[in-house]
Amino acid sequence: MKIKVPMYVAKPAELKAIGFSYTSESDQRDLAIKVMAELRNSMRSLMVMLETCTKCGNCARQCHSYLGTEDYNNFPAARAELLRRVYKRYFTWAGRIFGTFIGAEGFDEDTLGKWLTYFYQCNECRRCARFCPFGVDTAEITIMARHILSELGILPRFMQGIALNMKNTGNNMGIPKPAIMDSAQFMEDEMREETGLDIKIPVDKPNSDILYIPSSADFFTNVDTMLGVAKMFHVLGANWTIPSTILEAANFGLLFNYQVMRSHNLRLQQAARDLGARLVVQGECGHGWRAAKMYTEGCNGIFPFGLVHILEYCAAHLDRLRFKRLPLRVTLHDPCNYTRAGGVIEQPRKIIRACVEEFVEMTPNREDTFCCGGGSGILMDEMMDIRLKLGRKKVEQIQAVGDINYLAIPCSICKAQIPAVLKHHGIEKFEMGGVMDLVGKALVFDK
Amino acid sequence: MLFFLGHIFPYITITVFLTGMTWRVLIWLNSPVPFQLTLFPAPQTFTGRVMSIGWEIISFESLWRGDRILWLWAWLMHGSLAVIIVGHIVGIYTLTLEFTLIGLSPGASSALSAGLGITAGIVCFLSLMVLFYRRTAIDEVKRLSDPVDYFVLLLLLAIVISGMHMRLTSLNIDLTAIRSYLAGILTLHPIPIPRTWIFVSHFTLVNILLLYFPFSKLFHGAGFVVNRGMLTEKPPIYPTPATRAGEARFS
Repeated sequence: MKIKVPMYVAKPAELKAIGFSYTSESDQRDLAIKVMAELRNSMRSLMVMLETCTKCGNCARQCHSYLGTEDYNNFPAARAELLRRVYKRYFTWAGRIFGTFIGAEGFDEDTLGKWLTYFYQCNECRRCARFCPFGVDTAEITIMARHILSELGILPRFMQGIALNMKNTGNNMGIPKPAIMDSAQFMEDEMREETGLDIKIPVDKPNSDILYIPSSADFFTNVDTMLGVAKMFHVLGANWTIPSTILEAANFGLLFNYQVMRSHNLRLQQAARDLGARLVVQGECGHGWRAAKMYTEGCNGIFPFGLVHILEYCAAHLDRLRFKRLPLRVTLHDPCNYTRAGGVIEQPRKIIRACVEEFVEMTPNREDTFCCGGGSGILMDEMMDIRLKLGRKKVEQIQAVGDINYLAIPCSICKAQIPAVLKHHGIEKFEMGGVMDLVGKALVFDK
Repeated sequence: MLFFLGHIFPYITITVFLTGMTWRVLIWLNSPVPFQLTLFPAPQTFTGRVMSIGWEIISFESLWRGDRILWLWAWLMHGSLAVIIVGHIVGIYTLTLEFTLIGLSPGASSALSAGLGITAGIVCFLSLMVLFYRRTAIDEVKRLSDPVDYFVLLLLLAIVISGMHMRLTSLNIDLTAIRSYLAGILTLHPIPIPRTWIFVSHFTLVNILLLYFPFSKLFHGAGFVVNRGMLTEKPPIYPTPATRAGEARFS
C-alpha cells in the first residue's frame, strides 16, 4: 500500500486466522479484475449502477460523509468513481477505446489504497440512492468494493477481529457460552430485584416458539435493551429463547465479504432449526436487520421460519402491554438500515409514543434520516477523527431538536457511535439508548 | 461524401443504435439479482411499482428533493427534447399540418407547429447552456467531469443550433424533399440527400449522437428503469413460500 490509510490493516497471520489470505502486490491487479468479473456476472446491480451515473452532482449535498469531511473523494459520485473508472477501463468497449476521455482509468499503485481509505468512509446509509434520479446506490458499490478488497486480503483489522470472534464464539464481542449464562443470570437477578418477579432470559432452551437474536452488545454495554425485551416477552407470556451459537444480530459479512455474510446467515437458520423455533425476532441492530430481512433468502435459499424485527413485534403487540408513561421528552434517531433499507419506519414512533409523555421528531427524519456516522462498521478507535466528522451532521440535527431528556437510538452501531461523538462535543445533558429500553422502564406488570 | 452521409452512414447508425441498445439491456437483464435491494418506503403492488417509476420519469422528484435549480433545468432540457422529438416525427410526417386533425386551418397548423418548435428549441438551447455552465461552476461537479461530459453537451448544443438555424434564418428549407429522403431511408429505397449543407450537418450530427448513444452515459434512461426496477422490488416475506424452495439466489 503506497498511500497512508486511516485504519490498521489486518496482517497476513491475522487473515489466515479467519480463512483469508494475502495476495502479493504483483497479483493484486489480476485478482481484483477477476473478482470484479465474478461480481459483474452474478449481480445486476454492479453493472447497472456503475454504468448509469450522469455526474449531475445531486448526491454531493445529501451525503453526511462529504458534508462532514469535505473530502472530495467522499462525495458519493466521486467515491463510486474510484471503482467506476477501473470498471470502465476493463469491462466496457468505450472505456477500452477512449480511455481517460470518457473517464476510464487502469489500475495503478494508489488504486487499492484509495479504495481502502474511502470505501471505509462510506456508511452504506443509502441516502444518496434516495436522491439520485437514477437510484444509483453507493452503498451497493461500497459493498462490492469492500468485497473485492477482502478477497485480495485487504481489510481493516477491526473487521478481522470481529470475524474472528464470530468464528470462535458466534458473536462479535467474543463472549463464550459460560459468560453468556452468567450475564443472563445477572440480568435475571437484577430484574428480580427491580420488579420482584421471576423474569427469565432463557438461553438455548429447546422447543421455544420464538428465537430472539440480540446484539451481543446488549449483553455488555446496552443491558437495558435486553432487559426491556425480556420484560416484554414475560408480560406477553411468550415461549422464547436466545441461542448461544449466534448471540449476534449484526452480520459484519455484509460489511466486507459476501461469503462471510452467507456463513453467518447460515448460523441463524441452524439455530432456529436446532431450538425448534417458528419465529425469529431480530434485536436492535441496523445493518443486521437488513442482512437478515433482505439477504437471507438470497444467501441460503428457503427460510422456513417467520422473521420480524423486535420493534415490529413489539408494535404489533402494543394493545396487550400496559405502560406508565415516563415523564420524558424523547426524540428518535432513525437508523438508516431500519428506514431506507429495512422498512421499519413507523413502529418505533408508535412504541415511543405509548411509553413517554412527549415525543418530538428530528428533522429530517424517516427515510430522509442522516446516518450517525458509524454505519457499516466504521467504529475503529484509530479512525476517531474521521468518525467525528462523519457524525457532524447528526450532532447538528440533535442540537436542532432543543431540550430533550432521552435520545432513542435503536441500533447497536448508533449506540456505539453517537454517545462518543456527543461526548466529544460536550453534549451530555440527556440519556441515550434503545427503544426497547423505554419499553422495559415504562411497562406495568400485573402481579 | 454526400453519398456516404446520405446513403450509408444512416444505416450504420440505425444498426449500431438498435443492436447496441438491445445488447446492453439484455446483458443487464440476463444477470441475476440475488438480493432484494428494495429502498423503503417501497410500493406494495405491481401497479404501485409502475406508478412510482412512472411518476419519477415525469416529475424528476429525486432532483426536486435535492437541488431545485438542477431540477428546473434538467426537467426543461428533457421536456423540451421530448417535445422536439415528437415534433420532428409528427411535423415532418404531416408536413406541419398535424393540427388540422384537431380542426385548425392548414395555415394556423403550420404557424402553431413552428411556434412550438421554436419555443422548445430555445428552451432546450438555454437549458443545455445552463447545464454546461453548471458543470464548470460547481466545484465538485467540475472536478467530477471528464472531457466526454462536455463533449456530449456540445454535441447536443450543435444539433440544437443547426436545427434552429434552419428555423430562424431565411433559408428556404424544402420540408417535402426532406420527408421524401427520410421516407426513402426508412423504406430501404434511399434517394439522394437534399443538397442543403445545414440539413446535411444537422442530420449527420444526429447520426453521430445516435451512434454513440448506446455506449455512453446518454443511456441513463435505460439504466433508470432497470435500477428503479431493483429498488422497488417487493421485499421478501417470511417464512419463504415453499414454491420458491430449493436453490439459493446467490452462490
